[in-house]
Amino acid sequence: MIDIDTLTEPIREFLPKQRWYAGGAEIPDAVEIEDSETIRKEWPVLVHAVAAVGKKQVSRYQILIGLRPFGEHAQFLEGVEEGVIGPIESTEGPAYAYDALRDPELSKAFFEHIAPSLEKVEHIRAINTEQSNTSLVFDDRYIMKVYRRLMEGENPDVEITKALWDAGFTSVPEPISDWTFDRTSYAVIRGFLAGGSEGWSLALTSLRDLFGVHGNPSMAGGDFAPEAARLGEMTAEMHSKLKEAFGSREGKAGAWAQSMRDQLARLDHPDIDTAPIADTFAALERVKDAGPAIRVHGDYHLGQVMRTDLGWYVLDFEGEPARSVGERVSSTSPLKDVAGMLRSFQYASHAAMVSHEERLEGLALAWEDRNRQAFLEGYVARAHAAGLVPDAVEDFETVLKAFELDKAVYEVSYEQAYRPDWLDIPLHGIKKLTELTT
Amino acid sequence: MTPAKKKVAGAPKEVIAKGNNEERWYQTAVFYELLIRGYFDGNGDGTGDFKGLTERLDYLKWLGVDCVWLLPFFQSPLRDGGYDISDYLSVLPEFGDLGDVVNFLDEAHRLGMKVIADFVMNHTSDQHPWFLESRQSRDNPKADWYVWNDDDQKYLDARIIFVDSEPSNWSWGPERQQYYWHRFFHHQPDLNFQNPEVQEAMLETVRFWLDMGLDGFRLDAVPYLFEKEGTNCENLPQTHEYLKRVRKEVDRLYPGRVLLAEANQWPADVVDYFGEGDECHMCFNFPLMPRMFMSLRREQRYAISEILAQTPDIPEGCQWGIFLRNHDELTLEMVTDEERDYMWAEYAKDPLMKRNIGIRRRLFPLLDNNRRAAELFHALLFSLPGSPILYYGDEIGMGDNIFLGDRDGVRTPMQWSPDRNAGFSKADFAQLYAPPIMDPVYGYEALNVEGAMRNPSSFLHWLQRMIDVRKQHPLFGLGSFEVLSAENPSVLAYIRQYKEDIVLCVNNLSRFPQPVELSLQAWAGKAPVELLGRVPFPRIGELPYLLTLGPHSFYWFQLTEHVMEQP
Repeated sequence: MIDIDTLTEPIREFLPKQRWYAGGAEIPDAVEIEDSETIRKEWPVLVHAVAAVGKKQVSRYQILIGLRPFGEHAQFLEGVEEGVIGPIESTEGPAYAYDALRDPELSKAFFEHIAPSLEKVEHIRAINTEQSNTSLVFDDRYIMKVYRRLMEGENPDVEITKALWDAGFTSVPEPISDWTFDRTSYAVIRGFLAGGSEGWSLALTSLRDLFGVHGNPSMAGGDFAPEAARLGEMTAEMHSKLKEAFGSREGKAGAWAQSMRDQLARLDHPDIDTAPIADTFAALERVKDAGPAIRVHGDYHLGQVMRTDLGWYVLDFEGEPARSVGERVSSTSPLKDVAGMLRSFQYASHAAMVSHEERLEGLALAWEDRNRQAFLEGYVARAHAAGLVPDAVEDFETVLKAFELDKAVYEVSYEQAYRPDWLDIPLHGIKKLTELTT
Repeated sequence: MTPAKKKVAGAPKEVIAKGNNEERWYQTAVFYELLIRGYFDGNGDGTGDFKGLTERLDYLKWLGVDCVWLLPFFQSPLRDGGYDISDYLSVLPEFGDLGDVVNFLDEAHRLGMKVIADFVMNHTSDQHPWFLESRQSRDNPKADWYVWNDDDQKYLDARIIFVDSEPSNWSWGPERQQYYWHRFFHHQPDLNFQNPEVQEAMLETVRFWLDMGLDGFRLDAVPYLFEKEGTNCENLPQTHEYLKRVRKEVDRLYPGRVLLAEANQWPADVVDYFGEGDECHMCFNFPLMPRMFMSLRREQRYAISEILAQTPDIPEGCQWGIFLRNHDELTLEMVTDEERDYMWAEYAKDPLMKRNIGIRRRLFPLLDNNRRAAELFHALLFSLPGSPILYYGDEIGMGDNIFLGDRDGVRTPMQWSPDRNAGFSKADFAQLYAPPIMDPVYGYEALNVEGAMRNPSSFLHWLQRMIDVRKQHPLFGLGSFEVLSAENPSVLAYIRQYKEDIVLCVNNLSRFPQPVELSLQAWAGKAPVELLGRVPFPRIGELPYLLTLGPHSFYWFQLTEHVMEQP
């Protein structure tokens, strides 16, 4: 129908305009269509393609290409020029190519292609908040996540969600179907968590209420602590099921400390006093019992958990986007996830002060402390019972603090690169964490 | 378990031809709970009565009330607000006589209103002649009408409900040297429903009142009729069997009359009282109300939406009774342990909510006299699955007097006008059964029916209008119920649908303005028309539908095919 290689050039220009493209705003120096398959042959045509991008460091991206005859109106492309790939000659005459996941008709065709046994779906909507993938919701029953940047090996998101579900952990969306070839995950279909809200939205709701009353957070109507405690309980349950599904080994505090120090060494910010951070990492190295190492979520924060009518759910087991795949699937302390969530509480409490009003800082701090406490209360007893954390309180605190600081150091680099406006948040976090004496 | 499944909670299955709709009036009715003592004094003795109530039926008709629910009015020593009945077949003299009851029922029916009454089957007063006789000896004709035992070690698995005042479910009867069984106060012995004579006597009283013209009963304390060793003595199969027998009798002789069960249990357990549609017509949805207060306090929907998700479908011809406040406290008792723990975790650390637990408060004081919140609560009450039950006085925003003690704080005289005694009675002030509210905020000089009627923007007028709108759409009583996904946790949105009529309800539980994007693709092409003002809104398309809501505000949109054209 078309000569796919004629699209190489338009795709080269198309990629940097996509949110899921990790290569920045520059047009990539090389693009090669490695593989393509026509999924639907009649108009509108659907072509599945994998593009190898870059000369030195090659990343592979999955692109779903839609084709319609030149001149045919497509309402879904109105106002979204970035969704257009460009004109192309086809054997059926001139046509134009575009991102097929913006086309409800072709999205449905793709859904049916990868899950032919499911009943027909009717309504489709896109989830707009995602960075690295594209997710579509069908009839509020299914969510199809299409991975854009492809990884070598099975995607941990697919692997872990399935393993947890099979282990009887029901706080993940039900895996329904996945599209995996040669151990590479291309797309996955899951039960949609209807009626859910992100933990982040709930936390901000609570903070807005607190900022409105100016009192002790325990007295505020929008108190988040009971939710934070239940979130902690769910987190402990998740870790114990991860341990059950993937096993555990002895935690290596020395290796953890080393990789923390490596990251700290790469940190470049004039206002950070690295000495007390390094002290904490050194203390980590000295702990008697670091607790076990297990598979973890890896990028655990309030945006990765959903509150539904059935309680808390956890999503997105892909790990931190900036880490290598090897790092993402390796085992580490479950306290890494705990640290991630605690850091997220600090992020939320600061983000809620839209213009960083100083008069609210005391409240934000009180909110963070209260919910931090509540989350740990929910987590710790269950985690102890499941043998997930060091037995001794001092060891527990040292390990947790090291992971919190490690996370904050990572955040500083991340915010420097992507969101300089948010840089204050991890800087505050580091200050507070290092001022506390253990 | 797939959470993604669309939940159609708590809605009655669509009515099919069987049974005529008029007999199912209760499925779409607006109920109004009142106590005769406090409503209107017709004879000037300081206590409300049937004569006075009859005079005020016009007002209730105007408000849009379909059914009046009367708190107990039977002969009673009044040690438990009349729930301790000493004669099922006569009326408390201060309320009038049977002739006054008949007049009242006739007038209500003439105006097209129904009347149901509180009815206690489980126990009587210890002053009831049945008990007076029963306790005399072990071999009198009524000896076996109550539950007697030689020791107090039977049925130990049954919890004590009034733990603060009753040390045991057994009390000593010195005359016959035995213990008698009581699930509530010791002066309220439980009838022995194992005894066929008791079963028949109770049916006889049911027939008596239905013959008189009552349209049904609110059955008090139904889970406790029967006892059985080794159980908690609640919800036993025999209890259900007996209720089915009562229902059969009602259907046979009095079609169109209603049985409303008070079973303060979890919705999943309460549904048993609907049977297969052959037991009670209605049951209260108890956990919903405290959770509405919690959602408002938390400014997020989950307290409400999760209880709705756990509310099972009910048999055809049945209906939930839902309420914001009633004559009881915002109770945490009598629900499951799990729910009590949950509510305590949410409430008990919060001084404001804690203050309100276990005390009887009225709606407006519980809402800090916040009119916006009161409007939101009524919008929820009128649009969630079930028939709404209003509590007298809440329509004018009445307050309470917690210093009157336990149950009387929310039973002060209805405030009719700024005149003497709130226009409730022509008696001397000192003669009133209870003083009317006189504080500067809620006092009758500021808050009364007369003043509210004169003020077109009063809450009373707003409420009357809401009831009117609700009545134009049977879907609020009969329709399916589906919660919509909304990322903003402060917003609770749902669709009600009955046949071709579709209404979208959107509620903002926050005191701050909120935006919400709703995915309404299933209704793409339809045009929302706001129901109170008939204001057309932009047509629904494929994109998420964006709405902004003011503090504690709500929308009811009818989803129509056509937008009204501009002239």
